Amino acid sequence: MATLFTAFTFTFLLLRAMPVSAVENIVASFTVQGQVVDPQALEELRKTLYEVFGLIGSPIEQYISYLRRFLTLDFGPSIMSYPTPARELIIRRLPWTVSLLVFTTVLSWILGNLLGVFASINRKKRISKVLVSLSLTLYPIPYYIMALALIFLFAYLIPVFPLVGGFGEAVFTDIFILIREWLYRSTLPALSIILISMLGWWFLSSFTLTLNVQTEDYVYYAELRGLSQSRILKNYVFRNVLLPQVTTLGLSLGGIFGGALLTEILFTYPGIGMLAYRAVLSGDYPTALSMLSLTIIAVAIATYILDIVYPFIDPRVRHR
Amino acid sequence: MLVGIPIGVITSIKNSFSILMRVSKKFRIGFIIIIGVTILALLSFSAPPQYIHWYSYPRSLPPTPTGIDLIFGTTANGRSVFWIFTNAIKNSLVIGIVTALIAPHIGLLVGIIAGLRGGIVDRVLMFITDTIIVIPALPLYVIVLMILKPHISAMGSPIPFMGLIFSITAWCWPARQVRAMVLSLREREFILTSSLSGNSMARIILREIIPHLLAWHLINLTNTVLYSIGMETGLSILGLSILDKDTLGTMIYWSLYYSALFRGLWWWYITPIVGVILVFLAFFLLSQGISEYVNPRLRQ
Repeated sequence: MATLFTAFTFTFLLLRAMPVSAVENIVASFTVQGQVVDPQALEELRKTLYEVFGLIGSPIEQYISYLRRFLTLDFGPSIMSYPTPARELIIRRLPWTVSLLVFTTVLSWILGNLLGVFASINRKKRISKVLVSLSLTLYPIPYYIMALALIFLFAYLIPVFPLVGGFGEAVFTDIFILIREWLYRSTLPALSIILISMLGWWFLSSFTLTLNVQTEDYVYYAELRGLSQSRILKNYVFRNVLLPQVTTLGLSLGGIFGGALLTEILFTYPGIGMLAYRAVLSGDYPTALSMLSLTIIAVAIATYILDIVYPFIDPRVRHR
Repeated sequence: MLVGIPIGVITSIKNSFSILMRVSKKFRIGFIIIIGVTILALLSFSAPPQYIHWYSYPRSLPPTPTGIDLIFGTTANGRSVFWIFTNAIKNSLVIGIVTALIAPHIGLLVGIIAGLRGGIVDRVLMFITDTIIVIPALPLYVIVLMILKPHISAMGSPIPFMGLIFSITAWCWPARQVRAMVLSLREREFILTSSLSGNSMARIILREIIPHLLAWHLINLTNTVLYSIGMETGLSILGLSILDKDTLGTMIYWSLYYSALFRGLWWWYITPIVGVILVFLAFFLLSQGISEYVNPRLRQ
């Protein structure tokens, strides 16, 4: 939870460092563009922004009102669909993003680690060499570039899926259509995330870790004791590979989140990323700010859960 | 003595470079791609001045090998994809390099301080670093750029400024890395010897610690270039970059904006994507090559 406060303090300081005239510019830009915006919405926006950017009251008051807004996700009504609160817009889209993220992260983490250990044991074989060079190519590529490449492959060259924007607005009548729709819309975004993070990140890091662990003295000793290969793998190698990987997972969650937001936009997947895109297009600061604070809270909670789970995997932490 | 240091450093860099080129296949491939990319970026200086305007070439022309202008085809608004591409690579590299000039050096400083001081300083600094690593950087930059975008466009040199912005979070990974290295260096005997010989802290850092960190620093530099270019490309997809300048990101943005694939202009769509992949692959292979060189345990 201390992470949360540090994170909010960091964003607070960052927003304070922005040019002060920004708020008036933002509000003015709405009137200049000649957009039809409810005057009450503008007044609310001005109040929110003044508080968020810390322009009212003493520094301590500023900080408290800022924290209150960030923790309760209360950034007033959204501009693009006034008078719905921005928070509600975000929360409505949340299930889509969370389902995509949890599914892809868990699946690619498990599969990637298994494949890495597998390739590392059979490193003399051809298949392992192919996997390693494939993963070296995939590792540095960002998700959204992979997404763009997949769109080119599966929507242009082999038209299995509609081109960008072809999905249309989501309409749900019953549960089967919902599931079918979810699968149809999620396949490509999920694939672009899984390919990169499974074959790239987790595969490569678990491959190198296994190489290191295999040369450790305790593994050598276990071999001398005549333990079976499968037992050495399970009890000695695999566990020691998983530990650092859990820590890496916690640290890379933020990046995964950001990348997934962009992937959503490219596939017009109806999640938070798509909402962010529309918010940027219409200059909807309340929605964008709610998205920022929600992602910070979500990632902080996820790392917190990882912290709780960690002792169950690593007995050394428990004893301390 | 003072003159002796740079020459020694240069020869040692030269030596390591030739060893790396000879031994590491990854480094070799990465280096070759980088040379190719740099040549493309340098070619941008010979771009004909009309490349920046619309309709200076026929519209939506597929790649035709008649001349260098049309070798990658043209866009829907009659610009040469090849010249946009060279300029995009140049600008993206500038963004990456500006960040690489700032962020890893801050990280180096923070990492050394945290690692050497230890105790409460270390814990506070590392807590801040870990927190910033965990915060999703993209939504943060979305807000920052939404606010700054009108200001950036009005600026004289917007491209380097983008690089400056990404330094806000880019220093964290290097700081973590350097600190881990310093922690293990601190316990080595030569540091103790140096300190018992009455050398000052500054001298120990400069003469004993930094030389050992140089290779890692180089790895951090290449990774930061990638971080920054990736961030710019990602934000461009949201339309939050400098849209009137050509970068790899804005190139993707405009090809999506004009739905290039839908019109069948695949050359416009695929060129920046291949460009990004090449740049990322090159820098990644370089950093892999170097890290295998300094850490023999990674060699296969």
